[in-house]
Amino acid sequence: MSNLEKYDEIFLTNFRVTKEQLNTLEYQSVSVWDSIGHMGLIAALEETFEIMIDTEDIISYASYENGKKILLKYNVEI
Amino acid sequence: MFLDLDKKKSSSIAAVDSTGMQISYGELNGFANEFYSAINKRTLIFILSENTIGSLAGYVASLSVKVVPLLLSSKTDKEVLDKLINLYRPEYLWLPERLSGDFNYDFSFRKFDYVLLKTGMEAFQLNDNLSLLLTTSGSTGSPKLVRHSYSNVEENARNVAAFFELSPVERAIAILPMQYTMGLSVITSHLFAGSAVLLVNGTLTDKSFWSFLKEHRATSFTGVPYSFEVLSKLRFTGMDLPDLKLLTQGGGKLSNKLFLEFAEYAHRTGRKFIATYGQTEGTARMAFLPADMALAKPGSIGKAIPNGELSLINENGEEIVETEASGEMVYRGPNVTLGYALTGEDLIKGDENNGVLFTGDIAKRDAEGYYYIIGRLSRFLKLYGFRISLDETEQIVKSVFDIDCICTGNDEMMKIYITDRNKKDQIHNYVVDKTGLFHKAIEIEIIDEIPKNASGKTIYSNLSLQ
Repeated sequence: MSNLEKYDEIFLTNFRVTKEQLNTLEYQSVSVWDSIGHMGLIAALEETFEIMIDTEDIISYASYENGKKILLKYNVEI
Repeated sequence: MFLDLDKKKSSSIAAVDSTGMQISYGELNGFANEFYSAINKRTLIFILSENTIGSLAGYVASLSVKVVPLLLSSKTDKEVLDKLINLYRPEYLWLPERLSGDFNYDFSFRKFDYVLLKTGMEAFQLNDNLSLLLTTSGSTGSPKLVRHSYSNVEENARNVAAFFELSPVERAIAILPMQYTMGLSVITSHLFAGSAVLLVNGTLTDKSFWSFLKEHRATSFTGVPYSFEVLSKLRFTGMDLPDLKLLTQGGGKLSNKLFLEFAEYAHRTGRKFIATYGQTEGTARMAFLPADMALAKPGSIGKAIPNGELSLINENGEEIVETEASGEMVYRGPNVTLGYALTGEDLIKGDENNGVLFTGDIAKRDAEGYYYIIGRLSRFLKLYGFRISLDETEQIVKSVFDIDCICTGNDEMMKIYITDRNKKDQIHNYVVDKTGLFHKAIEIEIIDEIPKNASGKTIYSNLSLQ
């Protein structure tokens, strides 16, 4: 599986959205991406890509798209 | 006056909210008069709450002028809300202005982004001591309400202010929802002490929360176990927060690992970590573990709060006299609420508990008299700090989907057992919607048949996760 596929899979299973929704998906744009969903997302990203995300990046992880840029800092290219 | 609010310094800030609005004690008292001139009688009001100045002012004014509020989340499902309106017939609603379009009631007045609407319904008779109504379980729409007296609310505020040693210099983060007993306790205890309340209408993972906390130099934070899980994940103990001196916890049992993480952090950095125990039926708090005992007694809820008393009883309801023992925990104190209401006619009822509360929690008492919660008698879960009744969820699923089912679980997740594979997704979505729980906290499992005994009663012990 490519990184993009893994990345998409995390969002699809964690937030139960469709592939079409991914590009515009933002924190709190769907009811499941709330505080609890957010922590689930971070845990899944850390586990899948074997990284540890900083506090500042956890609270800045505001969308599907902007998340890709954040992961770059951890040498994960999506 | 309510919480002696008229005796606080009138220019002091009583509350600030995350929209940037703020209110002084003087303005809060002035608003109570304005509120009363619009209503002008003792009656029932529903407040659709959120952690904002408008919601807070409506609550404080109601208690000050003896109008009786039921606090409900502003996110309450419209269907659930209509059911409660029909059942309890509030004469007024106080709600965020942006929601007023959903209701066909007469407009009375607006203030702080909230509006007062008059329903035209005639309220039921209200008992003279009745001060406040809160729901018992999150958002499943149960009509069961807890009836509080005026002294319940005052005593809670006084006691909590005393054992947290609150003073007017405090600036407390109030992020737990104000319609939730412990969220409300944070607010009332700090107002009683003349402190400032920092109202957060958001969550710990909002970037804006952290800038708000720093900008207003918060001195205390109160959370449920899930909040501490998030704080731990956000590596809170490594943050630079020089003003934050007090962490308090309630709303269920913290894991030992997290308990120690925060107790050690507090000890190491000269802060206080105070674990508490409470229920809506006991006006939020009934026991606390003093900060200096946190490392010596990790996982303990401590001892009864000032003016309260804890004891244990055995299966026959007899008090256990031995110090080291376990049994159902019983609480006695001035914050034990009056009883429940199931319909509007119950609002006239007086005190049915007489200061004694059978908590339904099984506790262990150690040789020094410290209590530890080790189990629960009744069938409910505490998920993310909210109490979810298993029997109630079972009833909802049975009636909506016309099938038999079983709900069990632990404080991490709820499991619903059904026999009809085709209804799995439908039921999952429905329960997620109705309870507002995270979808991964609810699991639906298909079994061949629902285990029953000879008399047709469900046998829960046959299923895992009990």
